[in-house]
Amino acid sequence: MSEFEFLPSATIGQYIPTGSILHRIDPRAKLVGFGLLMLAITFSTSKIGIGVGLAAVILGVILSRVPLKYALKGLIPPLPFMIFIAILQFFFYPNPGTSILFILGPVVLSTAGILSGILIVLRFFTLILAISLMSFVTSTSELIQGLQKLLAPLNRLGIQTMDFVMVIQVTLKFIPFLAQSAERIAKAQASRGAEWGVKTRSLMTRVRQIIPLIIPLFTTSLRRAETMALAMDARAYGFKTNRTSMFEYKFSWRDGLFVLVLSATAAAILFI
Amino acid sequence: MKTLIQVDHLTYQHPGAAEKQAPALKDISFTIEEGEFVALVGANGSGKTTLARHLNALFTPTSGNVLVDGNNTREPRLHQQIRANVGMVFQHPEDQIVATIVEEDVAFGPENLCHLPAVIRSEVDQALKIVNMGENRRRQPHLLSAGQMQRVALAGVLAMQPRCIIFDETTAMLDPAGRRDVLNRMADLNRMGMTILFITHFMEEVSLARRVLLLNQGSLAFDGTPQELFANVALINDSGLDRPAAARLLEAFPSLFPGIKTASADLNPLLEAIPVYTGIAQPLPILAVQGPGNLPNEIEIRDLSHIYMAGTPLAQQSLISVSMEVKKGIPHGLVGATGSGKSTLLQHLNGLYLPQHGSIKVGPYDLNSPEVNVKGLRQYAGLVFQNPELYFFEQYVGDEIAFGPRAHKESDIRESVKWAMNLVGLDFDAFKDRITSTLSGGEQRKVALAAALASHPTLLILDEPTAGLDPRSRRNLLSNLKQLEGEGTQAIFSSHNMDDIAEMVQNITILSKGSSLVSLPVYEAFTDREMLLGAGLEQPSAVRFAQALRYRGWPISRSAVTLKAVADEIRRAMDGATHE
Repeated sequence: MSEFEFLPSATIGQYIPTGSILHRIDPRAKLVGFGLLMLAITFSTSKIGIGVGLAAVILGVILSRVPLKYALKGLIPPLPFMIFIAILQFFFYPNPGTSILFILGPVVLSTAGILSGILIVLRFFTLILAISLMSFVTSTSELIQGLQKLLAPLNRLGIQTMDFVMVIQVTLKFIPFLAQSAERIAKAQASRGAEWGVKTRSLMTRVRQIIPLIIPLFTTSLRRAETMALAMDARAYGFKTNRTSMFEYKFSWRDGLFVLVLSATAAAILFI
Repeated sequence: MKTLIQVDHLTYQHPGAAEKQAPALKDISFTIEEGEFVALVGANGSGKTTLARHLNALFTPTSGNVLVDGNNTREPRLHQQIRANVGMVFQHPEDQIVATIVEEDVAFGPENLCHLPAVIRSEVDQALKIVNMGENRRRQPHLLSAGQMQRVALAGVLAMQPRCIIFDETTAMLDPAGRRDVLNRMADLNRMGMTILFITHFMEEVSLARRVLLLNQGSLAFDGTPQELFANVALINDSGLDRPAAARLLEAFPSLFPGIKTASADLNPLLEAIPVYTGIAQPLPILAVQGPGNLPNEIEIRDLSHIYMAGTPLAQQSLISVSMEVKKGIPHGLVGATGSGKSTLLQHLNGLYLPQHGSIKVGPYDLNSPEVNVKGLRQYAGLVFQNPELYFFEQYVGDEIAFGPRAHKESDIRESVKWAMNLVGLDFDAFKDRITSTLSGGEQRKVALAAALASHPTLLILDEPTAGLDPRSRRNLLSNLKQLEGEGTQAIFSSHNMDDIAEMVQNITILSKGSSLVSLPVYEAFTDREMLLGAGLEQPSAVRFAQALRYRGWPISRSAVTLKAVADEIRRAMDGATHE
């Protein structure tokens, strides 16, 4: 794979229309269901619970007909952080308990520490996969419509939910765009002698070449945001607080079942 | 007829502009009736876009008024109605697409207008049908070609059922087929009663309209029919534009087109009027033979294939076993429709992509070798991207150009920057501290070119260098390139503007849907109309003209592919006829 393809590593926020059964679930059901699942994964303290969560998410990816290998690719970019956190847990776990493997000053390696490190990494992996899965099966505007409908009651309390929802939509739309901009800047710098795409590079050069990407990425994003705002204005955005939608969602038994299954899974993750 | 848009003494100063700075628009007044078909022309930076944005209340006047269907754009509460009446299609298709699925994007406008779901559905279906994108309704816009994206953008406007559509240089980034497509759709919509205002600096497109507005440095310099405008040579030149080829030919050789008095942009009536040649049949000028046939290859590509995002569900084949050769010292062109793989191929030539399959040799570099010095290759083959202004990463012109010399650790960076700026005609002291984003389109291209030149490349690779430039900036750029060539920098040049290719290169490779169709000398490729059309391209007007002349017996050689060359040969032939 080319070094300039930033897009494939951004699996989060990528909608992949395969037309699977998960794609056809009502977005409100998806939001509630996935929301519960993610909360459960975040707060679960049990190893088996996290295992159940991981299994459920992988089953979900298979059901969504998105290749599992592609979904797993999204785990690669945060991998170094994960390993770092895991190592911290290994050596600096506050309650080492009895089964201590060795001690060196303040550093204590214990079975409990190792287990907790692994658990944290698994928890993050499961969460990232769950978020990716949700974005695979929910298009942005479905997500927006779902959120809008779920949040609609707040409008009665005088809270402007539409702008909030639009912020999320535009953020999501900007993910592939950021990848594209990063690609452009990296290519422009590379073709004028920066170290991008050169085979032999030390870790330091790799880190150093990221830094000059960041400021141009900001400025191009701002410029792009400005044009997009203009294009949205030109299409009469922002006059009514309640936009309508092309899609009419009917909450069917299948959607109800989906929420039930995910609630049950969430309960299992939390309480097993 | 009913007045739809009324512009009354409109003056506009960009917010934050210095007091003494000239306003962007100066005292402009005109009206547009319902059902009109109007072209708005002017050079880069003449205020066309700023004016257009006043017509649907994206901007509001500093002084004066703009009324749309009687609604003053100064009233914010009327903006929704104004924007529902006047839709706008922008220049860069990817900037105006909001949603991540085609049909959802088309629905964005009607949703904002709070139409009912069933109504929106039928509006979306109908709009997609008009632009022929029904089959792509569930695809992701950023994976479409530029032409397709532009059609989605148009559908998004059509779905709102506006009464007027503004096309803001919608065709500037499209290939000939995409351009024809948009122009035909504009004409069709106008026939259905839609008011159309389109911005362009291609004079060939202007004659499609029945009325032209010309902006020159923020003032309305002309309001009349295309024919009247074409007759006003001084005004056109003064505004940095070019007359269409047909008008220039008519002026140069009035006797060649008996019975035709008024200039238009349409070449066909002129071609039909050409009389049969009556001069002495004289030997055709001998084709300029390009050196010995055994010139060494500068670039050698064999069987190159490339897949984007290989191994993901979004994988997309971009190049399919492409082979081509470029002779040393012979300027080479790469032509093909948008999406034919030109940019991907060019980005292989300086090692941004290494071959996934197949082999590439560029000068002394073998890209298949594991020890290839990629950095050295990139200095050897400098690349100017398509729309290079989107690739700027420094704030100041000087820094942008100095990036290459700095990265290559040159001893005298300042001297290199000065030299490169001088080559492209930018004054070092006047421009080095300017901010890149505030330059005009033509100046930005010069900066991009200087930035590539500052590393002293042997090969210069240019991806669509003239796209989006007005005629004057385009001429300047091409003459810069010619000068460079004279100084020994070999150019590899991609374009879907066949006139550029005819002027600049000797050999071309035609790409179609990722495959290389054929590599030929330019004059051979351009006489094969079927092949060009098949690849989504068109013949340059000079070649069509030369063919029509040959058909009537005129001694015009096949190597004449530019208007200037054809004109020279006509004069020669006319001399032959008078000496009879």
